[in-house]
Amino acid sequence: MINKVKLLFFIIPILGLFATASFAEHLDEISSSCALTTLDGKSTHNLQELKGKVVYVDFWASWCPPCVKSFPFLNQLNHDMKEQGLHVIGINLDEKVTDAKEFLAKHPVDFSIAADPSKQCAKVFELMAMPTSYLIDRKGTIRHIHQGFRPGETEELRALITQLVMEHP
Amino acid sequence: MRKSLYAKTKLVLVMCIGLSGCVHVAPWERGNLAKSQMDLDPHPLQSERQSHNYSSREAAPSDKSSSGGGGCGCY
Amino acid sequence: MPQRSGSNLHSRNLEVQSAKPRNTTLQALTSAALVLPGLLITPGHAAGTDRVNFQYSRYQEGERNLYGAPNSLKPISADVLHGSGIFSLTDRTKFSFSYTQDTWSGATQITTSPLVANGNRLYYENTSSGVTVAGASPIINNRILLDRNLNPLRQDPEGGQSLSQDSRSVLVMSYASPETRNQANFGLSREWNEAAFNVGGGFSRERDYKSSYGSLGGRLDFNQKLTTVKLGAGYTDSAVGAILDHDASPYITKNAFSEQIVKRGGSEVLLGDRQDWVANMGLTQVLTKNALVDANIGYTHSNGYLENPYKVMSVIFVDPAALNNNQTTPVIGDMRALLEQRPNIRNQVAINTKYIQYIGAFDAALHLGYRLSVDDWGVNTHTFDASWVQPIASGWTLTPRIRYYSQDAASFYKPYLISQQTYRKIEVDSSGRVIWIDPSNPNEQYFRDSDFNLIDQNGNPVNEDLVNVQPKTSLFDSGKLPDNFSSDYRLAGFGALSGGATLNKMIMKGVALEAGFEYYTHASSMQLGGSGGNSFADFGYYVANAALKLDMEQVNFARPNISNSHQHEDSTKQHHHKIPPAGIMFGHMLDKPGDLMVGYRFMHNWTNGHMMHGGHKVSDQTIVQQGCSDTTPCRFTPDYMNMSMHMLDIMYAPAKWLNVMLMPTFMTMDMNLRELAGRPAPVPGVHEHQGIAGHETGAVGDTYISSLVKLINIPGHRVHMNLGLSAPTGKVDIELRRMAQIDGGLIHFGMQLGSGTWDFTPSLTYAGEKNRWSWGTQLSGVKRMEDKNKSGYRLGDVFQATTWGGYDLTQWLTASVRGAYTLQGAIQRDFDRFNAHIGPMDFPANYGGQFWDIGLGLNARIPGGRFAGNRFGFEWLEPVRSDFNGFQLDRKGALSATWSYLF
Repeated sequence: MINKVKLLFFIIPILGLFATASFAEHLDEISSSCALTTLDGKSTHNLQELKGKVVYVDFWASWCPPCVKSFPFLNQLNHDMKEQGLHVIGINLDEKVTDAKEFLAKHPVDFSIAADPSKQCAKVFELMAMPTSYLIDRKGTIRHIHQGFRPGETEELRALITQLVMEHP
Repeated sequence: MRKSLYAKTKLVLVMCIGLSGCVHVAPWERGNLAKSQMDLDPHPLQSERQSHNYSSREAAPSDKSSSGGGGCGCY
Repeated sequence: MPQRSGSNLHSRNLEVQSAKPRNTTLQALTSAALVLPGLLITPGHAAGTDRVNFQYSRYQEGERNLYGAPNSLKPISADVLHGSGIFSLTDRTKFSFSYTQDTWSGATQITTSPLVANGNRLYYENTSSGVTVAGASPIINNRILLDRNLNPLRQDPEGGQSLSQDSRSVLVMSYASPETRNQANFGLSREWNEAAFNVGGGFSRERDYKSSYGSLGGRLDFNQKLTTVKLGAGYTDSAVGAILDHDASPYITKNAFSEQIVKRGGSEVLLGDRQDWVANMGLTQVLTKNALVDANIGYTHSNGYLENPYKVMSVIFVDPAALNNNQTTPVIGDMRALLEQRPNIRNQVAINTKYIQYIGAFDAALHLGYRLSVDDWGVNTHTFDASWVQPIASGWTLTPRIRYYSQDAASFYKPYLISQQTYRKIEVDSSGRVIWIDPSNPNEQYFRDSDFNLIDQNGNPVNEDLVNVQPKTSLFDSGKLPDNFSSDYRLAGFGALSGGATLNKMIMKGVALEAGFEYYTHASSMQLGGSGGNSFADFGYYVANAALKLDMEQVNFARPNISNSHQHEDSTKQHHHKIPPAGIMFGHMLDKPGDLMVGYRFMHNWTNGHMMHGGHKVSDQTIVQQGCSDTTPCRFTPDYMNMSMHMLDIMYAPAKWLNVMLMPTFMTMDMNLRELAGRPAPVPGVHEHQGIAGHETGAVGDTYISSLVKLINIPGHRVHMNLGLSAPTGKVDIELRRMAQIDGGLIHFGMQLGSGTWDFTPSLTYAGEKNRWSWGTQLSGVKRMEDKNKSGYRLGDVFQATTWGGYDLTQWLTASVRGAYTLQGAIQRDFDRFNAHIGPMDFPANYGGQFWDIGLGLNARIPGGRFAGNRFGFEWLEPVRSDFNGFQLDRKGALSATWSYLF
């Protein structure tokens, strides 16, 4: 029995290396420390203000190939479900804002783009990988965390969002 | 001679894995690491040719630098 | 080089030096075969974006130092063609493949011998200005003088009196005819979020070496992907079947390998097997935002036949009786050639480390590497390399690099050996009587009595007229030689320094060009820790390559349409007018200005079976009498001849009505000959074809440059015209190697790789389509614009008319039927340099004719999904009727396969 416990002490930290964060937090806890700005540095809306809508928060950077690949899908999502109450917001984590601006100039998108210069938002969301998207329901609970992006995952995401959008507080 | 070489290598590898805990690079700080010039092999077509030419004129075993690791750390 | 008529001089030389035969034909095991291609495959090769690459590389060695002997044999050169691709089958699975073909030929080392042994023997020719040196051919058996301390002595050619010590060694060089190696690799990889697994395999084939290999690999990420652990293992199985050179073989001592040598069709073939196992483990660790380190350890175990079958060891046999006779005069050394011997097992360990640092000030990356390897043959090596990857404005990247390498000699490496025993000794019995035997019945022993009469074992007299006796001899005691010995300069101690650069340019939309160059120098003095003592083996080489890299992943950033989400499929409906069968060139045009299309075309042509004249089969006797010329009857005829062409199509539309095309090509030919029944007997001094080996050639072919102009473009019907040129980048002066002291001369017309002349290649094409049907016709021609090429001749002009019809079996698959008529003129003029004229393929009037063919083809287009925009085509062209101008081998058909992608 004691041996089994000892074994667990070895296994759990090793598993911890692989673990992806899975927690359920609430938007209220997060948005106090998360100050979003526009790409030019001016302060912008708080995430709190988006309560009542389904929010799709996507952390991206110009140098991250899967992030770049997810943009057409996000653009399409935004266009399709904006009326139904979906708000897509892409939070840029480029260390050099000029990189982000150049990227958006070459590939313009319709959904909201914000910046997180102090990287506080990323830390508060406990970001572990690039890209990561967080699906927040109308009540402000983080319902789903998606790490990475592959073209075949769009169907699953779309289904999840549709389900969330159907929920009314 | 070979045995001590193996032992030294094992020690170095274990140290590396241990030390890796000391490194703190956040996922969003990997912009420079993601650049193509920072790839483990930035010119794979060239290295394949070179490796082949060197192996045909030298007696060392072929260079098998495995790919994977570094880079943008994306999922 | 004028044809030598100095046969008198030759026979005189031959008599004087009867024990020194010339051997000039040697195939050296291709450098690639020694390399074990399976061990070079990097695991996880299928990482990164989907892509297709094409690369051409040229390797050229410099001359070796032969200390005054003329370097008449061209140094080694190799032409390499490479294509590879990575495709995502699903989100997380990738398939990779690559194909490499290299053709190489040139002067290679057979052995090393003392300089005084004159291993690179000059040969002469009679010219108008007197007797001149025409070249040097390799000598591997000879007699030299040594002093009492066994140092080689140089004899003054003038007086023959004064002797001086000369311990220098020299490489003895022979010529290897062009040989082609083909290699294909495949791989499959699967990715998870923090791990990957890959499996791969492949094979490599060339005339004397076959190799197959498989590998497994994987990687695991830890620590938010800051640490990566990699593992890999591989296995290679190879078989050697080396055709020993016909000329050299009689002078090579092969007893040690007699069980592995078999006789096939007049040639001796040395067989061997080997297996190699590889395992490696590595770690990549990110150190800071700007630096990472990578370390790797690998172990290789090799087992089996590890020798190079074409390399021999020079062993100088010295009679101990002569050495111990208390005199001071020089002793004679009997130099012989023994096939080299290496251990059957080899274990190697290599440790690789790499450090990569980002330099923000230049937006560049510095790559530093160090590699250490040790093995149980004593070959310890160090490699230091550094490169600087520097992006420059607007899509350019320049990467200079430098590398220093040092290796220790293998424990069994020696330039040559001296053994204190005679090569052959006369056997005596226990009482010292010489044993005599009749070779036809070697078990019966005879002796001679005091009056020198022949007696048998029991002392009874034997009638000498009834038996054919000679003293019984046995070969040297191999136990007195080292177990392993090799003079292969690749196992010697030396250092090497190389430097080069790579230049990369992004052209447009995922198309990039890459060019690389490197110069490498191998020097004995550069070995770490002191000179290797073999500066005679110093040499240098340079490599230049060019590649086209296509990034197949196209990210569609178009804004969403209000109408639909099927926009993707819509765009592919725009321009996909049907394309003609795969065998048609210049058959279609791009529609939108700015379009770029890249494609690959492969064509393979077979000829074998019966020899034909006009339209009917012909007997050997007729070929002998009529196939060549009035003065020269035919002696050999082709048995089979195959031709492969690889072509890269690059097509760009600068305007709606104009397309420009560039098509570099790479050709490979291979053939074999057979003797004609009823041929006249061989004449000494005249080129003959011996043994079972055939001929191969392969290198860059002619390059096509075209402009296509749209003439009519109305719905359902299109007419366009092509005005093109063929640039003579393919060699027309390939020569056969010198054999049995006779020059081979230029190889047959059909084996040269290009036309050698600038040619005008016009064509006119009409294509129509309606619903599922498509049809078309094309008239094309080739008009040679010069009188003769650099070898003195000119290929015939060509006219072709072809018509086809196609039907869409499904939306993406079209079947086609085609008829073609070709009229080809005979070759004009003739070779202006020596050609051996051994058969109908060497005579210009036999080439050309009229040909009727039927083609059956399939074209496929991938309409949607991940691989949309890719097109494939196949066509088989079956000969219906041929009317040859002279004597030619029957045509058996041709296969065309194409791939293209519109950007």
